[in-house]
Amino acid sequence: MKALQIAVKDTLTRFRDWKALAGMFAAPLIISAMIGLAFGDLGGDETPIENIPVVLVNLDAGELGQAYEDVLTSPDLADLIALETMQDPQAAKARIEAGELRAVIVIPAGFSETVIPDSQGNSGQANVELYTDPTAEISPVIVRSIVERITAAINSTLLAGQVAGQQAAGYAPLLGPAMGQLGAAIGAELQSGNLNLQESLLDLEVVSTGETGESFDPFAFFIPGMAVFFLMFSMFEGSRSILQEERHWTLQRLMSTPTPTWEIILGKMGGTFLTGLLQFTILMLSSTYLFGVSWGTSILGLAILVVLTVFAASGLGAMLTAFSRNENQAGVVGSAVSLVFGALGGSFFPTDGLTGIINIASKLTVNRWAMDGFLALTVNRGGLADIQTSILVLAVIGSVTFVLATLAFQKRFVK
Amino acid sequence: MSNPILQAQNLHKRYEKVHAVQGISFDIQQGEIFSLLGPNGAGKTTTISMLSCLLSATEGDAVIDGHSVGTQADAVKRVIGVVPQEIALYPDLTARENLMFWGKMYSLSGAHLKQRVAETLEIAGLSDRANEKVETYSGGMKRRINIAVGLLHEPKVLFMDEPTVGIDPQSRRRILDTVLELNQRGLTVLYTTHYMEEAAELSRRIGIVDHGKLIALGTQDELTKLVGERDTVRIGISSVNDTDALLAALTKLSGVDHAALEEDELVLQATNANAHLSQIIGAIGAAGGQVKSIKVAEPNLEAVFLHLTGRALRD
Ligand SMILES: Nc1ncnc2c1ncn2[C@@H]1O[C@H](COP(=O)(O)OP(=O)(O)O)[C@@H](O)[C@H]1O
Ligand SMILES: [Mg+2]
Repeated sequence: MKALQIAVKDTLTRFRDWKALAGMFAAPLIISAMIGLAFGDLGGDETPIENIPVVLVNLDAGELGQAYEDVLTSPDLADLIALETMQDPQAAKARIEAGELRAVIVIPAGFSETVIPDSQGNSGQANVELYTDPTAEISPVIVRSIVERITAAINSTLLAGQVAGQQAAGYAPLLGPAMGQLGAAIGAELQSGNLNLQESLLDLEVVSTGETGESFDPFAFFIPGMAVFFLMFSMFEGSRSILQEERHWTLQRLMSTPTPTWEIILGKMGGTFLTGLLQFTILMLSSTYLFGVSWGTSILGLAILVVLTVFAASGLGAMLTAFSRNENQAGVVGSAVSLVFGALGGSFFPTDGLTGIINIASKLTVNRWAMDGFLALTVNRGGLADIQTSILVLAVIGSVTFVLATLAFQKRFVK
Repeated sequence: MSNPILQAQNLHKRYEKVHAVQGISFDIQQGEIFSLLGPNGAGKTTTISMLSCLLSATEGDAVIDGHSVGTQADAVKRVIGVVPQEIALYPDLTARENLMFWGKMYSLSGAHLKQRVAETLEIAGLSDRANEKVETYSGGMKRRINIAVGLLHEPKVLFMDEPTVGIDPQSRRRILDTVLELNQRGLTVLYTTHYMEEAAELSRRIGIVDHGKLIALGTQDELTKLVGERDTVRIGISSVNDTDALLAALTKLSGVDHAALEEDELVLQATNANAHLSQIIGAIGAAGGQVKSIKVAEPNLEAVFLHLTGRALRD
């Protein structure tokens, strides 16, 4: 297979070029290290999140309101949550807006009475209200998951009591021990990093870490960002090499050998793809080693995402090259597209705040779909199911650009 | 005798603004070195590109070893070797890596590939430096590897497009010797150049191209006859008694058109001077003269080009 031999030759050439290596590896790793330093987080040491300011407004006079309060004030959660109690929900919410609080938990008046079944076994519906700081990313998730855990524990206790035919008065003895253990259980889960925050993530608009509920790792965002950004650069540069080969007459020499033109073109594009695959893999491994970045838990999802990201980036590079008038123009367009895509597509800052036309423009970039996918894996610890859209879009971009590039190159070089 | 391995038939290449090749036809016999001589921009590279299936001819065709360039490109590519005017190598790869890669492109593999790489390195005289990157080579060495690549798959015909451009005289000498040696081993060569001396040394038959046209084609003798120019014979003499009588006697000899004395040198214009030299020397002896030196300057290809175009070959 001559295409493969051409691809290997190109990859070998690129990995012998010090300038290319600097652009492919040194630049992204150094920039990531600098960003890491700026966050005071070099080496992957995670700053623990502690003393999250939370207010509990307990308007319930019954034992359920008390249960929430008991758990939230349990010594096991004391490091994590700095709990205050207030009586005025509005005043408490105002303090979120003022930036003083991350969350306010409101237990409505008559909550226990409504929820605990009466002597006929009838019970009503009432909700604990949770208000969180929209600008915060992680702490609301933690508070929310704790509240949900308490609610779930209460529900199962009530259910157990109901099945056992308990009267209203009989719930208190049941609740006491259950709640007493819950605080310790949540604390232990937090310690070991097993607290399951997945469900609460679904309802939150903010990107937040599900890692251990302890920290935000800037590398989990910036390393994929830089890797994708510099991948685009090297893919555009790699694609351009076909025009360079034309200038040096090695392309003509290739075409004077008994090798079909399509195979030469496939080999050239394959070489860029192979280079990108190696570049990204090496960046992933070295960032894991150097900065302790975790690339998530889904190896399969990650592998598919990397392959398709490189596929889309190299396809786009090939297409831009194929439609450029010359090598120079391809270079200028390539650099411009790399920069614009990087900025719009979330290589430098998160895109979840984007709206309207900017958001639409962002979704026209390879970077955006790649970043959405990588963040779902690295920051949110998602799996294959969470990156389906990214995978699909990248596959479509890659296929379309590869086909267009192949046709355009054929037209360009067969004279 | 007539056993053409290559027949170019009325080849044309039209670009949007340029009619680069305007109906070129020639045959190349099996085993010969055929030269296309012409100045820059004459259409040599364009012609070679059409013959090597890189460019489709706007009109006309060529048959190489029985295969049409227009319709049987793949078969043609297997019998031709191409040495482009540019140094079409990968500078980041070593000479050996380049040859290995290009060999694979010619579908060579395994032990045979290795053997051919070793053999062509030997021909290039670069076996001992095969593992150095091509970018570290001198211009002459690069040219030699450039040629070696064209030889890898043992082609029947080798196209060499100005293979000595921009190198020092020793390297050029080496390359010309290589071409002659390869030819002696049976390789047919199509050689293009704008150096008159190279065409003259390598080829019996030469085509002269200018502005996309083959303006003359033939053996060197045939071409120079076109000029209608005579050989110029310069004879250094001494102790002639009666120079006027000598000059008169010389002009009476058949083939000698004109005789004159420039200081102590006789200058004769003669058709086919070499055949008449003994008579000329005899006449000088009869006049009591002594011959001290003889120079016969034959009309050269430069003169032919000048004659046909009114311009010098090199500008
Ligand atoms: N791709 C092209 N497009 C337009 N004109 C060309 C192209 N290639 C060559 N030419 C023109 O064709 C003529 C012959 O060029 P070329 O075959 O390279 O000459 P040579 O090899 O004898 O120096 C020149 O005038 C050149 O400018
Ligand atoms: Mg040329």
